[in-house]
Amino acid sequence: MDVMRSCLSFQGPNASALEKEIGSDQFPPNEHYFGLVNFGNTCYCNSVLQALYFCKPFRDKVLAYRAQPKKKETLLTCLADLFNNIASQKKKVGVIAPKKFIARLRKENELFDNYMQQDAHEFLNYLLNTIADLLQAEKQGGKPKNGNDNQIKPEPTWVHDIFQGTLTNETRCLCCEAVSSKDEDFLDLSVDVDQNTSITHCLRGFSSTETLCSEYKYYCENCCSKQEAQKRMRVKKLPMILALHLKRFKYMEQLHRYTKLSYRVVFPLELRLMNTSDDAFNPDKLYDLVAVVIHCGSGPNRGHYITIVKSHGFWLLFDDDIVEKIDAQAIEEFYGLTSDLQKTSESGYILFYQSRDGT
Amino acid sequence: MAAEGGGKDEVKTQFTTREGTYKLMTLSEYSRPNRVPYSAQSCNPVKVSFINVKDPSGGDRICFNVGKELYFYIYKGIRKAADLTKPIEKRTYKGTIPTCHDFNQFTCCSQSVSLLVGFSAGQVQLIDPIKKDNTKLFNEERLIDKTRVTCLRWVPGSEHLFLVAHSSGNMYLYNEQLAAGNAAPHYQTHKHGDGYAIYTCKSKSTRNPVFRWVVGEGSLNDFAFSPDATYLATVSQDGFLRIFHYDSMDLHAQMKSYFGGLLCACWSPDSKYIVTGGEDDLVTVYSFLERKVIARGRGHKSWVSVVAFDSYLTQTQNNHADFFGSDDDFNSLVNSSDARDRAGSRASAIHPDETRPLTCTYRFGSAGQDTQMCLWDLTEDVLYPHQPLSRGRTNTNPVNPTPPRCNSIANTSRLNANATSHTDGIGTMANLTSKISGLNLSDKHKDKLDKSDKKNSVSSRSGDKLNSLSKMHRCIIEDAMKAIGTPMCPRLDEVPMLEPLVVKKIAHERLTALVFREDCLVTSCQEGFVCTWARPGKVGMSQHNASGTVV
Repeated sequence: MDVMRSCLSFQGPNASALEKEIGSDQFPPNEHYFGLVNFGNTCYCNSVLQALYFCKPFRDKVLAYRAQPKKKETLLTCLADLFNNIASQKKKVGVIAPKKFIARLRKENELFDNYMQQDAHEFLNYLLNTIADLLQAEKQGGKPKNGNDNQIKPEPTWVHDIFQGTLTNETRCLCCEAVSSKDEDFLDLSVDVDQNTSITHCLRGFSSTETLCSEYKYYCENCCSKQEAQKRMRVKKLPMILALHLKRFKYMEQLHRYTKLSYRVVFPLELRLMNTSDDAFNPDKLYDLVAVVIHCGSGPNRGHYITIVKSHGFWLLFDDDIVEKIDAQAIEEFYGLTSDLQKTSESGYILFYQSRDGT
Repeated sequence: MAAEGGGKDEVKTQFTTREGTYKLMTLSEYSRPNRVPYSAQSCNPVKVSFINVKDPSGGDRICFNVGKELYFYIYKGIRKAADLTKPIEKRTYKGTIPTCHDFNQFTCCSQSVSLLVGFSAGQVQLIDPIKKDNTKLFNEERLIDKTRVTCLRWVPGSEHLFLVAHSSGNMYLYNEQLAAGNAAPHYQTHKHGDGYAIYTCKSKSTRNPVFRWVVGEGSLNDFAFSPDATYLATVSQDGFLRIFHYDSMDLHAQMKSYFGGLLCACWSPDSKYIVTGGEDDLVTVYSFLERKVIARGRGHKSWVSVVAFDSYLTQTQNNHADFFGSDDDFNSLVNSSDARDRAGSRASAIHPDETRPLTCTYRFGSAGQDTQMCLWDLTEDVLYPHQPLSRGRTNTNPVNPTPPRCNSIANTSRLNANATSHTDGIGTMANLTSKISGLNLSDKHKDKLDKSDKKNSVSSRSGDKLNSLSKMHRCIIEDAMKAIGTPMCPRLDEVPMLEPLVVKKIAHERLTALVFREDCLVTSCQEGFVCTWARPGKVGMSQHNASGTVV
């Protein structure tokens, strides 16, 4: 089944068709499936917003935020209004124009203040960090702080409660065998991709042991000198929602531009991490795939983004203003290509896995 | 640029294990007659079936599907080059694509074979590629199931009965002699239990399907009868391996993948162990006697699509064959063993070698979407650990703490006796599920079930059935999470993690089949190439110099 073609053949949103396909008796109560209008290359934004909307813990927090007393307009209030706009629609399906949100985004960050295609992962990062900063500033009662203020460890916000995990960076000096470990927090993990592999394998690569030698020697506090060392990074705290970014855009020196790695990387509907540290809490946490941002095309600044989400047990495809129900088996269309020659593909780019036990 | 990442690994044409070197027989490659690779993006695995029609020429026949096409050739194995210009039978289908096939080993003769073919749109065809008549179609109008056939097999020793599994999660028993009903079947519950239900047709005259099995949640990806034909193992997208007593339809054991769907399963030749492969990139070894996972194996970089025991290198007796170093040893070893009755026929072939410790008892292979094949040894230290690895095992499934030494067990009666004495294990699991079935689950699960139920059940929707199914769904979702740390899904550090004996990239595309034969092993890949690898010392014909690449 060619999902894309069947999407494109839709002239405009045929909302009633979706409603019919799901069936009025089957339609989940209090759920809304709304496409988002594209304001000229804003699909990077639409695709991430849809994925986040269907990360239920995130959506709930954003809607709860809106219920709080009125504040001055920020990217978060615009997001809350948008989510609320979707959630409070009378109709079950339709299209919404995220006009205010896009306008605010363009005003706040010059990177997005144009009509170019942007990187969905960069946008996700920007959005989550901006929200976290706003929430932290509110907690402290001050103004949103600017960038590099890392002197005090800020209080965690609900963005951290949902997306934040901890990596532990273990370095073992090959001379004295002393192990030093340093923790660092993450909101998502970026993994290298390889042809005909699985996301599990990519995560294993992420945590593989690296030897620091020659000019990259490590300063061992114990030996008080630069030594060869082995280093690896493993997950110590597993987040509630695990966002995995597949590094499909690679800078090619010879070409002076980014190219897309359309490799076939399979991702299961159910996942456990195999690259957890020995002291990890709850390392067997079981995750369910809830959303995938898909890049279609050949490069980061061209092409298109769409999103598939799991909602109430079935899968939906959001392509800007078009919403379609798809078969779970159609997900394999988005693993990527086994041919190395072809660069253009519709392939999974950001995966959202949600913990089954809700922690 | 293409060399980046995946391209750097060369495709191998030979590999060496301790028994010797396996060599790719480039002239024994079967494919479409024009040898053009099939567009690999197509998602239909190329599967391979063999039959021996017992004629003087050797009698081996091979069947494989590539895209819309199905081929039936004389299989010349490692002896002679394949002649692709003359398939005995070639069929091209329209509108529906062959997905799997199975020969009836019981009824075949040199004039006639019964070949079942399953299709992407749910139909099943019975053909005789030798006689070329007597074609029958089942589920022709797709009234029974509209989803893709994932696996089909003749019931062992039966002339007329066969089982067909679909991606809907249903499995049907057909009798090829029964007429097709002209209406959608109405079902009534025949039996149900933890995670499964079985229905019969409500109809005046006997009709197909004889039984409908609803197993687990999501696609039923593969099933296998135990070599003693007593048990049926199924693996599903919900990550569960379920082992049924075939005749009584009772669930005797279950296992959960570490995560993700299970894609394939294979029984050990003595019906004691089952190996599975799946979306956790692992192979998992389950001991049926002990009702527990005894080991996992990590070697693949992606999902494991096929697992198979090498019955010719599997020792099921205490009289171990050592690994042969010379070709003579190999010949005497494999020649003396009969593929169908291995347990116990080995003693004559043994060359006792006191200097080497007894190591391997079972050999199996796996092939995956990573284009790699792995070979694994299940050795005594894994099969009979001196100290149970039971760190922090919380759920106390009362399995026998000291696993039985299987030295003298070879026959089925003993197996059965063991099986019944171990039903405690299942009892515990049932308790667990009855406990959690009381939990309040969010509506979404029910909705999903209602939905899938509506889709799958062709017509009958009694409230009773719906209820039992929805309960079943709830249990499966919960079970998957609760199973961790129990013998059916131990934590990663609770059982040994095996290393493969051999890991080799042997194709440019995903591997889809792996068959161990007496003198060779056969692999196939998504592009439609069926490759024969001669066992050590078996390179008979003048094609030793297999130095080219596979494609």
